[in-house]
Amino acid sequence: MKFAGYVIGGYSVAGAAFLLYWLRLNARIRHAERLDRDA
Amino acid sequence: MTLLNPRLAKVLGIATLGSLVVLALFGLWIAPPDAVQSDAQRLMYLHVPSAWIAYLAFGVTALSSALYLWRRTRSPVWDRLAGASAELGVLFTGMTLLMGSLWGRPVWGVWWAWDARLVTTAVLFFLYVGYLALRRVPAPIDARAKRCAIAALVAFVDVPIVHFSVDWWRTLHQQATVFTPSLNAHIHGVMAFTLWWGVLAFTLLYIFLLDKRYRLETLEEDLDAKELAQAIEERVAGAGTTAPPGQVEVGAGR
Repeated sequence: MKFAGYVIGGYSVAGAAFLLYWLRLNARIRHAERLDRDA
Repeated sequence: MTLLNPRLAKVLGIATLGSLVVLALFGLWIAPPDAVQSDAQRLMYLHVPSAWIAYLAFGVTALSSALYLWRRTRSPVWDRLAGASAELGVLFTGMTLLMGSLWGRPVWGVWWAWDARLVTTAVLFFLYVGYLALRRVPAPIDARAKRCAIAALVAFVDVPIVHFSVDWWRTLHQQATVFTPSLNAHIHGVMAFTLWWGVLAFTLLYIFLLDKRYRLETLEEDLDAKELAQAIEERVAGAGTTAPPGQVEVGAGR
């Protein structure tokens, strides 16, 4: 594959960014749920 | 409170993951390389759907904001939806810029160019980062919602500017391929399928994340309301008087 670094790098970065956002979103939800219960 | 029922959200999550895996297979292996740009063009299957979903997300924010500002339809649901969708819009715009930069380097020879399409897209990104910052400014919930709704509508003016920038100015970025006046895109069958599959996969991803982000917005708002009630209670108890709640200044900060 030509330009493999850019292409595979692009797909990897996109996948990692969405995965990290989803994990962070879940962590924020769990944190808010815990605060909500304690309030 | 969520937008979708839990079972539907779970099915959507599985469908989203499956569609993204299929997109990666088609984008990286099955679709043929471009005759001119070779394999670098494979980044189009991420770049273009990201840009369209960013438009969709900001469109949902603008529509929700207009519905919040209109007295007859005013509801906190619209404010929460606007905030949730704007954050996703920023995520997809960031992805558009990043994928565009990675695509531009092998094709144009530069990571970035001061080109009308690129600059207006970067402006769009920062406008909505500003919108998200504005949502964090402590204020009574209704006042915050109104000012954010106005800001969202003002920021949305940039979306058609981004879209038509390639027609209005001479740009390094190519002109529209799909949304042309005649709507007859000349794209190879498998390439066209992969592109549309990417749009479908990113739309599912957007809806899946929007549901979760909306839940977070609701939880944070409930928490603000509880903290406000608690602060009023403590202030009243501390003063030993029954001061009207309107005199207690407590923001909706997080």
